[in-house]
Amino acid sequence: MQFDDQNRVGKAKRRALVNQTEAKNRVELFRHLPQYDHGSQLPNLESKLFQLDSVHPAVFKVGLRYMAGDISGVNARCTEMLRALQEAIIDYSTPPEKVLIRELTAKISSYISFINECRPLSISMGNAIRFVKRRIAKLPLSHTDVEAKTALCSDIDRFINEKIIIADKVIVGHASTKVRDGDVLLTYGLSCVVEMILLSAHDVGKKFRVVVVDSRPKLESQALLNRLIAKGLSCTYTHINAVSYIMHEVTKVFLGASAVLSNGTVLSRVGTACIAMVAHAFSVPVLICCEAFKFHERVLLDSICCNEIGDPGALATVPGRMDINYLENWTNEENLQLLNLMYDVTPSDYVSVIVTDHGMIPPTSVPVIVREYGQEHYLI
Amino acid sequence: MDFQVVVLAGGVSKKLLPLVSHELPNALLPVANRPVLSYVVELLELSNLKDLIVVVEGKDTALNVGAWISGAYADRLHVEVAAVPEDVGTAGAIRAIARHLYAKDILIVSGDLVSDVPIGAVAATHRRHDAVVTALLCNTPVSGPLESVSSGGKDKAKKPGRYDLIGLDPTKQFLLHIATGAEVEKDLRIQKSILRSVGQVEIRADLMDAHLYAFKRSVLLEVLDQNGEFHSLKHDVLPYLVRSQLKSEVLLNGTPQAEENGTEKVISQSNQQMLSQILANASEPTFHLRHELSTNGSDSVRRTHKCCVYIAGSNKYCARLNSLQAYNDINRDVIGEASHLSGYSFSSHNNIIDPTAELGAKTTVGPHCMLGEGSQMGDKCSVKRSVIGRHCRIGANVKVVNSVVMNHVTIGDGCSIQGSVICSNVQLQERATLKDCQVGAGYMVTAGSDCKGEVLTKK
Repeated sequence: MQFDDQNRVGKAKRRALVNQTEAKNRVELFRHLPQYDHGSQLPNLESKLFQLDSVHPAVFKVGLRYMAGDISGVNARCTEMLRALQEAIIDYSTPPEKVLIRELTAKISSYISFINECRPLSISMGNAIRFVKRRIAKLPLSHTDVEAKTALCSDIDRFINEKIIIADKVIVGHASTKVRDGDVLLTYGLSCVVEMILLSAHDVGKKFRVVVVDSRPKLESQALLNRLIAKGLSCTYTHINAVSYIMHEVTKVFLGASAVLSNGTVLSRVGTACIAMVAHAFSVPVLICCEAFKFHERVLLDSICCNEIGDPGALATVPGRMDINYLENWTNEENLQLLNLMYDVTPSDYVSVIVTDHGMIPPTSVPVIVREYGQEHYLI
Repeated sequence: MDFQVVVLAGGVSKKLLPLVSHELPNALLPVANRPVLSYVVELLELSNLKDLIVVVEGKDTALNVGAWISGAYADRLHVEVAAVPEDVGTAGAIRAIARHLYAKDILIVSGDLVSDVPIGAVAATHRRHDAVVTALLCNTPVSGPLESVSSGGKDKAKKPGRYDLIGLDPTKQFLLHIATGAEVEKDLRIQKSILRSVGQVEIRADLMDAHLYAFKRSVLLEVLDQNGEFHSLKHDVLPYLVRSQLKSEVLLNGTPQAEENGTEKVISQSNQQMLSQILANASEPTFHLRHELSTNGSDSVRRTHKCCVYIAGSNKYCARLNSLQAYNDINRDVIGEASHLSGYSFSSHNNIIDPTAELGAKTTVGPHCMLGEGSQMGDKCSVKRSVIGRHCRIGANVKVVNSVVMNHVTIGDGCSIQGSVICSNVQLQERATLKDCQVGAGYMVTAGSDCKGEVLTKK
């Protein structure tokens, strides 16, 4: 939904389960995206725990954790959401005189819209939801409630198993072959697949260095850095402003993705495009590690149409430095708007290869995968 | 939402004598002319929690409370009143009703809590962190009369016993240490393992435990089963859970997985581990996780559980009726600052006068006062910051300042009542002067008596 359309926004607000107050200093260019006041969101939702009877407790918990920012990363978010839907399906019972398929689909849709209100869904999570709805639609009518529910739950389990866990293992297997002794690998942000690749290559015994690049305000890579150091890898840590100074040492760049689109563009954490462009300028190969369920048939040409806006207040503070408070009253300044984008889009020219569970493919082959393996009989 | 609410309404507490008696248990003590239990019940009703279990000590008291509840809330709420033997303590009360508890999480509220904190927020924090216990903390209320002329020394002696010492982590989400009541006077002991894992502990003396807890049912019942000597939730169970949070001995998942016999498990063991690794890496690791992961080669897997807190906002009111001083304070606050709690609408003079009350000539009723129905006041009386109950007969020239007068009280002419609590059916004859006294039910104060700081009860 485009948020600059007043009618639709009004209608959605009336239907909304979560009351969000809009931010005061909205950025005009991003009017089509939801920009909410982050300070009051979480307390509002928390106090509604007992009022929202229509939302299953597990789904409410997931929505709460999304809004609080407890979970980040598409794999984890997707898994938690599917698990919550599983629990909701188990507890579901068809009202009399109604058909399971339609009722359950409607219920799932309402849960998904609640989760969407807590935090906008990412593109690849849409794939997972479409899968669940397709499985529900394909349930034979002769199944009883219990049989249908067990079938759905095992389908969801298989999705998580095959599309996330086993896919990750295959990707790690493929990508580890690309790591050679003496390599200097650069990574950015917190991607669970890239972390697994680095650790498994280290376990096999390859000798390489890692450069971990980080950026404000999230500083996500610090957690990755801690875990790599705990396992004994030799790492270098720097912020994204220094990437052009360190790129000359780097031999390969491993990046994760939130979604890969049909024209080969990669949607990932903001800053990834910058890293990929600098790597391209230095002729360093960029490997995107991404499971196949994140491929989508959409096409994006820029980072503006489809994005997510985070908490602008996070930009105004530096953790640990109370003396840097020049932007303390940024909400009162009329001419000042803070923009905290979460995602950005890397054009396919800067991507050398995409490592997926179907193999290592060039970015131009993404529509092929979407077309061939997006068929229903391949999904499970 | 899979929560069950248990209200611990107590019995006839010794600390509130002579206000409470066999006929008027703790829970039914009137605050601003409403039983104190009604505040808790209204708060729960506001949060859409309509299924309650009210635990009362003593069978007669239970009948009393049950009768009032069914009278007031018959159609709106579904309340079960359970009677437990006296002096079993809060832990014993929970043990007694254990078989009625089936939900995943239990919300335990003390029946003497007067507050407007949203209960959903405590429950949401509990769910979000998957905690074993979540406690509500609020700012310690300011106590003592505002115009304290004397008896400052007496108030100071009462204060230290009330406070709790709370240890929080830097993010103010987890409870690291709790020391209550008598332990506050002694040295503070903090677990070294907790300090090492967290790094920074913030000790707060300005926060008070509001006796509103959310427990995971399986853990609570297990702890109560294994430790039969635990008497009180606040003094025994909560500190036990907080102390052992990094060396957890409780079974977190209740009944063990029943699906072990499945022939084909969809997700194998190693894949399951990988999945939990992904999920763990995705979120900001709490100190529990960091502690678990740093096993240092020891064989036993260190399990941890989380004890969370919810700190009520400073604009919320929260107080517990557990002493005479608190009784005075809460009465004053409910018709004063926290007037939204009383549920009454204030007149233009900022007081509540029931339409059936009669005021004599030249009688002044100041702001922040309350006059119950059917009460009659004589001429030239003056009422300041007080609560007067129903059907009272107050003579002429009476001064009531900072006091609570319950129902059916007769006050003769020329009396002066300051900072006192007068229970129901009391008769004060002419020119009696009471200052900081408590008069038990049914007592008769003789004419011309002058009492300061006494407790007057029928023998």
